[in-house]
Amino acid sequence: METIIEVQNLKKSYRKRKSKEYIHAVTDVSFKVNRGEIVGLLGPNGAGKTTTIKMICGLLIPDSGTITINGINNQEKRLKALRHISAVLEGNRNLYWRLTVRENLEYFAGNRGASKKEVTRQVDELLEKFRLQEKASELVNRLSRGMQQKLAIAVAMLADSDVILLDEPTLGLDVETSYEVRDLLRSIATDYNRTIIISSHDMDVIQDICERTVIINGGKIVTDDRVENLLRLFEVRAYTITLGEQLSDKQQKLLNLMFPEAEYKADTIQSTVEVDLEKSEAIYDLFDIFKQEETPVESIDRKSINFEQIFMKIVKGEMDDARVQSS
Amino acid sequence: MQGFNLLKANIRKEYIEYKRYLPNTIAMLLTFYIIFIGMFAGIQLIGDPTMQETNIQFVIVNYIFWYLAMIVVNNIGWQITNEATQGTLEQLSMSPMGIWRIMLARLISSTIVSFLIIVVLLYLSMLTTGQWLNIDILTILPILILTLISMFGLGFIIAGLSIVLKQIQAFLQILQFILAGLTFVPLTAAPFLAYFPFVKGVDLVRAVMIDGVTWSQIRMEDFMILGFNAVFYFVIGLGFFFLCERVAMKKGLLAHY
Repeated sequence: METIIEVQNLKKSYRKRKSKEYIHAVTDVSFKVNRGEIVGLLGPNGAGKTTTIKMICGLLIPDSGTITINGINNQEKRLKALRHISAVLEGNRNLYWRLTVRENLEYFAGNRGASKKEVTRQVDELLEKFRLQEKASELVNRLSRGMQQKLAIAVAMLADSDVILLDEPTLGLDVETSYEVRDLLRSIATDYNRTIIISSHDMDVIQDICERTVIINGGKIVTDDRVENLLRLFEVRAYTITLGEQLSDKQQKLLNLMFPEAEYKADTIQSTVEVDLEKSEAIYDLFDIFKQEETPVESIDRKSINFEQIFMKIVKGEMDDARVQSS
Repeated sequence: MQGFNLLKANIRKEYIEYKRYLPNTIAMLLTFYIIFIGMFAGIQLIGDPTMQETNIQFVIVNYIFWYLAMIVVNNIGWQITNEATQGTLEQLSMSPMGIWRIMLARLISSTIVSFLIIVVLLYLSMLTTGQWLNIDILTILPILILTLISMFGLGFIIAGLSIVLKQIQAFLQILQFILAGLTFVPLTAAPFLAYFPFVKGVDLVRAVMIDGVTWSQIRMEDFMILGFNAVFYFVIGLGFFFLCERVAMKKGLLAHY
């Protein structure tokens, strides 16, 4: 597959004005993005996601490292590189609230040097694609947040660029609009063959539309893998064990001691133990606990795990353990 | 052609904003008209009757240039500060045209629109008062263009500072008075000011409008100073803007929110 973005050994520090101490926002980030991919950039607050995105957009100069967009180094030939990239960085804040939907689109297209004919064609096409025709003459400050977000994405589409970067595209949207925006992003990637990089806290969005995810923590990449691989990797470690009887007090104490994060639930009919095993051999220890009182095991199921839980585990540093176990 | 399309987009935005906030625009036009009429009438009342015509022209030329300087130099500072706070400056910075071209288009478009308004109101004021100023367009226009180029240079310096410094509003307010000083002080009182941006231009326009100096009567030396100022301040302004843009991109200052 053709690489459209290549980020190599990116570093960026800021100096605090008062204390003069350095904050290392990005310490070593390298990754590649292929043409047509939808990649999720994840990380807790302050992980370095936005700094990385802004460096890719050419809005921030890295301390060291290189970024090439479609083979163009964005520090050496910034304006040329910008022809291949567009972004929605602050959603609705990237718009002129006192202009209408159409006027915003026309102004941003004009600012890229497009002719009137080209502007009209592009704007009409985008209004239709984003189902904004009825709102074309509406002032942006009178639109709902969802509509504003759609318009911000439409503005990014004006650039006709290979890559679109979106920082928190679904932040503050209701469920329905969030799904609409997801569909829109999917269709942009497939219908227009655009590469999309999304930075988001919304794990549902990442799990739903991204093929690959790059997780950043403390300014470093902690994982770069396909979403399905991560789901599989962590799924094999999590189990729900259904027991025919309740565990005795002694067994419960032992369970708490040996598996402090295990969750034990009991009712009059059956009881369940939900446990995340870091090492596969640990299952024997668990069965030893059940054997002590001859507690019958009715079923062992792999627990379904969502992407948010995976993200939390990766950020907590459990990634390497998972890989060891998997191999 | 791309540059022309960029300019058209910015003129259109300027026009839309004037049209959208019609009550504001009308209030601004009325204020302007009243100030012009007031200047005509005021000078008739308090000025030296023998110098009445000269005084009127002197004050009006100065006032026009002060207004233009404020539009070009001050407004760009306010605009950048607002856009950095709103979040649109980053979006503009991602245009492959380069932010400096967008800023230049803004400077030119706001100058064109403001200048048209000034010309219309000036003629309207002259019609109302029956006093006609000596407006030799052919002589004034080249002087005006060269003067505006040096003003654009100053505009770029303020634009650069506005990107880097978050608290520039107080300075912009003081700048209004500095600009007033530069436009109102006659060069005979402070000859060294000829090398300051736009001061020589204002002086030459005053010579044309007040003393009736024609194109052929302007000394080559004056034109050279005007030309030098235009090139010098524009290059310095643009260079400073590039420097500030780089500092902003190093420190992450393109957004102030």
